[in-house]
Amino acid sequence: MSASPNAHGFAYWALKLFAVIVALIGLALAAGGLWLIALGGSWYYLLAGAGMLVSGALMFMQRISGVWLYWLVFAGTLVWALWEVGLEPWSLLPRLLALAVIALLSLAFVPMLRRPVGREART
Amino acid sequence: MIRSLALLCLALAWLPVTHAQTPADPSLEPATTVAPATTGGEPGPADWMAYGLDIAATRYSPLDLINRDNVANLRPVWGYRTGHLPDQEVVEKKWAPETTPLKIGDNLYLCDALNVLVSLDASTGRERWRYDPRVSTDHIPYSATCRGVSYYEVPDAPQSAPCKRRIIEGTLDAELVAVDADTGQPCAGFGNGGHVDLMEGMGDSVPGYVAVTSPPTIVRGVAVVGHQVLDGQKEDAPSGVIRGYDAVTGELVWAWDMGRPGESGLPEGDEVYTRGTPNAWTTFTGDEALGLVYVPMGNSAVDYWSGNRRPFEKPYSTALVAIDVTDGEVRWVFQTVHNDVWDYDLGSQGTLVDFPVEDGRTVPAVILPTKQGDIYVLDRRTGEPLTPVEERPVPASPLPDETLSPTQPFSVGMPSLPRETLTEADAWGVTPLDQLWCRIQFKRANYQGMYTPPSADRPFIQYPSYNGGNDWGGAAVDTARNILVLNYNRIAMHDQLIPREKANEKGMVPLGVPGGTTSSGGSVPQAGSPYAVSISAWRNGFTGIPCTRPPFGGIMAIDLKTREVLWNEPLGTARRNGPFGIPSHLPLTIGTPNNGGPVITAGGLIFIAAATDNLIRAIDIDTGEVVWQDVLPAGGQATPMTYEVNGRQFLVIVAGGHHFMETPAGDYVVAYSLPAKGDPKLPDFLKD
Repeated sequence: MSASPNAHGFAYWALKLFAVIVALIGLALAAGGLWLIALGGSWYYLLAGAGMLVSGALMFMQRISGVWLYWLVFAGTLVWALWEVGLEPWSLLPRLLALAVIALLSLAFVPMLRRPVGREART
Repeated sequence: MIRSLALLCLALAWLPVTHAQTPADPSLEPATTVAPATTGGEPGPADWMAYGLDIAATRYSPLDLINRDNVANLRPVWGYRTGHLPDQEVVEKKWAPETTPLKIGDNLYLCDALNVLVSLDASTGRERWRYDPRVSTDHIPYSATCRGVSYYEVPDAPQSAPCKRRIIEGTLDAELVAVDADTGQPCAGFGNGGHVDLMEGMGDSVPGYVAVTSPPTIVRGVAVVGHQVLDGQKEDAPSGVIRGYDAVTGELVWAWDMGRPGESGLPEGDEVYTRGTPNAWTTFTGDEALGLVYVPMGNSAVDYWSGNRRPFEKPYSTALVAIDVTDGEVRWVFQTVHNDVWDYDLGSQGTLVDFPVEDGRTVPAVILPTKQGDIYVLDRRTGEPLTPVEERPVPASPLPDETLSPTQPFSVGMPSLPRETLTEADAWGVTPLDQLWCRIQFKRANYQGMYTPPSADRPFIQYPSYNGGNDWGGAAVDTARNILVLNYNRIAMHDQLIPREKANEKGMVPLGVPGGTTSSGGSVPQAGSPYAVSISAWRNGFTGIPCTRPPFGGIMAIDLKTREVLWNEPLGTARRNGPFGIPSHLPLTIGTPNNGGPVITAGGLIFIAAATDNLIRAIDIDTGEVVWQDVLPAGGQATPMTYEVNGRQFLVIVAGGHHFMETPAGDYVVAYSLPAKGDPKLPDFLKD
């Protein structure tokens, strides 16, 4: 990893924070999802949560694959949501809205992740 | 000023005054009487004669001065405050006036939530008189509620006789009160100085246990009165006896006590009306021609366990009972839930119609919506269903000490209010995280559809619930076009029986024992039965967001001829709702929980408030579209009413709020009309 913390700019810390949030949400979904499976419920939450946990970890390590993995989870979520509730808007809201916001935010980090790791530390 | 007045009233209310023994001293009444009112003329289409317009409770006014074409110009034209709010704690935890005024001649008559009777000039809202029966706040049961008053004209008294025209109300402290409609003076010839003690023959009770919250229904000169018995406290609760009193003298004409068949008088000696029997707390409907009153019954005090119920009470629990007003005999019974352990008590007032059947005939019918979403249409002469009703098998109880009915009735011949069977995928939230939490709760709970039996080992989900379907606001029927309009709730509950030992550890005791309270909205002790019960709305404990998706409430119109749904729309916007209880200010029609009924007019409009957004609105009856709305100064959890006076149509609503609906409390009466020159200046609370 790179040098001292104050060598990094806002974008760097924003990415780290974002990655941690994605990973934590993933962890919560995976843990709850495991419980739900134990109760005989849907497998979606464990799978999506695990995907988000790994995605968060990759983004934390400044790997652009973290973003692509997140989008894979989101695409899967979209398919699953339509399969489970169709086009009923109120039912789609919890399934899609928050994850769509995260998906859009993740795109903001793409330019920075596409650069080789050391060079963005200009400030 | 208002606050200190309120405190004064409260202080007075604590004085140990028993009106039943001493005639009220008129000099103690506030001297606000301005002029003797003119009642003028026979009641007509311009009037609002009873809680539901008349004792048939159609809530259909033939007035059309306000109509689709001009409703956009509807404005508040006067406002009035009853000015009797008790202290803040009582208001926050208990205030729910639910009042609909009457209009007869050019007078409005209403009660406030603590039973103060008021008469207003129907054109200006100016107060004509008031009468305070001084109900102490410790008599408030679950809510401080007075849904309305009743009007009676003594047929053979001379026009000028005092109390020829009278206003009768039942009070929270269980009295029947009659005052002169023109002066507000108590009727000397009614009971004891205008008061009848409804606790006579009731036996042991404590304040808050027995309360009248609905106006009496007067049929053939008999004022029929029921009362609320506080839910869920103990097996040995005061009786749910239904009684008829002479509307002229206040004398008991009959008592229908289901535990003493064949007897219709006051119990003699040490005897009391049979304790622990089902009660009827909502408003009844009456039929002058048949001499019948239709009483929607609730449950006995232990709502969620049936093991202690006696055989004689079972047929009448959660049933519509037709009683002959001349002798108090039961003419017929129609039960909507057999052995109800879900608190599906009948909250809706029945509505009387001439129901269209095949070959153009009509049959005198009563329409009864329920909390579980069935709409029954019964021949009101016999109680026979006019549309098909099926008995269907339902799940058995998992409890060793409970036996439930193997079948329940379903009104399959009429549309039902929305009540789809839930699945795990119906668990809701705003984000995947709270949705996941609700899914986990769903899978952990017992759920087998709308008659899921109560369980103790794990929670059970109740949907629709005692908050669901249609409640005390009832329905309205456009009798000219045979359109039934009713609003409803879609709210699931997450409940669990608590074995007695555990309930004792938690210190759950009934009202009357130190530590007992009148807060019966959440967990209740059900003392005397093996289980207490925990009752709560199924929602995310952290965000407060419901675990089922919107709409949480709606309104629908049904064609009574074809028995088909004409339209079904969410009712209420998200402007005052949001996560963590923060108002979202969104104008989005989400469909909120609602309480209070609709009114239909010949102008093609439905007027309804009810939702938690503090709006009153006009809906086009043909489309279900909201065509006008206005913000009320407090929650609109009351049925509005409409009338005409001096060639002008008014729409009036009591904006009092509702503690359980979490809407702002108030003591406002707001009148709307098409603006005219010379309208009085609006009070501050109605200015934008």
